[in-house]
Amino acid sequence: MHILKKRSWEMPEREATPESVFLNRRKILAGLAGTGAIAAFAGTGFVPRAAFAEEDPSSGLYPPERDASYTLDRAVTPEDVTSRYNNFYEFGTDKQVYRAAQKLEIRPWSVTLDGMIDNPQVVDIDTLVNKMPLEERLYRHRCVEAWSMAVPWSGFALSELVKMAGPQSGAKYLRFETFMDPSIASGQKQSWYPWPYVEGLTLEEATNELTFMATGIYGKPLLKQFGAPIRLVTPWKYGFKSIKSVVRISFTDERPVNFWQSLQDQEYGFWANVNPEVPHPRWSQASERLLGTDERRDTLLYNGYAEQVAGLYKDMTGERLFM
Amino acid sequence: MLAMAMSSYAPYLPWTDRRGNLSRLRLTVFLLLLFPAARIFYDLAFGPVFPEPYEQALHQSGNWAVRFLLLTLAVTPVRRIFGWNRIVGLRRMIGVSVLAYALLHLGLYAAQENWNLAKVVSEIVLRFYLLIGFTALVGLAVLGATSFDSAIRRLGRTWQRLHMLIYPIAALALFHFFLQSKSDVTEATLMAGIFALLMIYRVAVRLGGKIGLPLSSPAVLAVCGGLGAAATAGIEYAWYALATGVPARLVFLANFDVATAIRPAVWVGIIGLGVAAASLLQILARHAGRKMLPN
Repeated sequence: MHILKKRSWEMPEREATPESVFLNRRKILAGLAGTGAIAAFAGTGFVPRAAFAEEDPSSGLYPPERDASYTLDRAVTPEDVTSRYNNFYEFGTDKQVYRAAQKLEIRPWSVTLDGMIDNPQVVDIDTLVNKMPLEERLYRHRCVEAWSMAVPWSGFALSELVKMAGPQSGAKYLRFETFMDPSIASGQKQSWYPWPYVEGLTLEEATNELTFMATGIYGKPLLKQFGAPIRLVTPWKYGFKSIKSVVRISFTDERPVNFWQSLQDQEYGFWANVNPEVPHPRWSQASERLLGTDERRDTLLYNGYAEQVAGLYKDMTGERLFM
Repeated sequence: MLAMAMSSYAPYLPWTDRRGNLSRLRLTVFLLLLFPAARIFYDLAFGPVFPEPYEQALHQSGNWAVRFLLLTLAVTPVRRIFGWNRIVGLRRMIGVSVLAYALLHLGLYAAQENWNLAKVVSEIVLRFYLLIGFTALVGLAVLGATSFDSAIRRLGRTWQRLHMLIYPIAALALFHFFLQSKSDVTEATLMAGIFALLMIYRVAVRLGGKIGLPLSSPAVLAVCGGLGAAATAGIEYAWYALATGVPARLVFLANFDVATAIRPAVWVGIIGLGVAAASLLQILARHAGRKMLPN
């Protein structure tokens, strides 16, 4: 008999608030009421604009079936909150980059697999999503800036892609690279940043069950501000590790230097695992704002995914695992 | 009764002069100083609800505290350059508004931390950039508390020395601005550059006075503007070189690529040359005015 053991942070799916309920702006305004006079004006809030749904050749694939084993200890953050509060430095340094990000052209799009693998290839995004076993997972997402959200990603386990690539015995790391096109991404005109954005994982991290390549969100293809058409999701690490709009994955024996590490090595490292006990040099990581609510919550070790990932780091010494 | 009370308080209202008469200039400046705060509260109450509700307000209150701090430091140079003496009477009001915005900034930080005051205190103590900002705020509070007529009278010459504290306070506030930035220090650099320009004006007054060159000379002002731009670029270069892994040389070179973006050093240069041009226009206008007078 298959017995599912409930983990400490799990709660039944029925307790997660459906997205439709949360799309009601009034509720969010009312949520702010605890802070004072705003209550009196609840109901006068702004009307959300239509979502940026666009013709996408893969839209028929969504929503895929949800893997019920990934559950949340909090409500799903509504789409109109998460889609208007994004870090995407390619398109600007403020959080309202969603408008600028619509310039991103996501077709044609291909992902190059290269480096120390048996099957180097350039694979078209639509071929890829049709080939991979798509599923939906509810994940928490913790930004290094001490805010968090919880969203339903669609996509596939990165381990499937690793299998397809066929890593050779010397391959130790995956180096991810995003697109480079200053003509549409004005941030990339700032010549002093080390564009394109680069991220990295160890092969063990990449093949962990949690490590996910997201191609969709909220039951439809990824919106551009989330890093369409394909992005990494590593829910136990700070958000900047989850590189957006991936065009290349290289298998290598050298540890990649990621974008933020090369900008600020004292503040952002290679591992960036979530740990409430280890503060960022400039602020505490002990708690987080749940986006779109007036709630702050205590942050969990490995963002609550210790059971799945703590083993990866068990015997490591001399590494800045939480930065 | 009320009228009597009103009239006895009238000289102390922000929009009246010393005699208690309404001053249009003072009223205008008072409303302008209030406007950003009105905007901040309006946006909190009626604006789009941001996922981090206080973040925007927190940044804006800090920005305006720094901007108005620079405005108080601009009072003396403006008076010297344009001979506009009435502006000195506005300085206290602007200075007090700096304290008000700084207090609002702290209050919004506490709100962002959901009024967990223990955490607010421990964060201020533990985080260097917060400690610096808080130190600047304490300094402002001291200056604010000694801004009453009675305090000015009582402290006498000590008051002058005490209020020189505004310079280190400004430096701390700007350092706080740099330290809190994630990687993009454009806004902080612009503010630091304007601060540098205002300090250069003060040095120019000292040096120029010795050789008979007043600050109101357009040529002196143009040189100051150029030096201000260079200082801005220098501050930015130093920040990127010392505090980040960004290649500072590339940041410096980007100053010359004005087609892509007008960067802080260029803005400070534009401001400096603009002041020089305004001074030149004033001189020409005076000249023309004198010629037109019948002999």
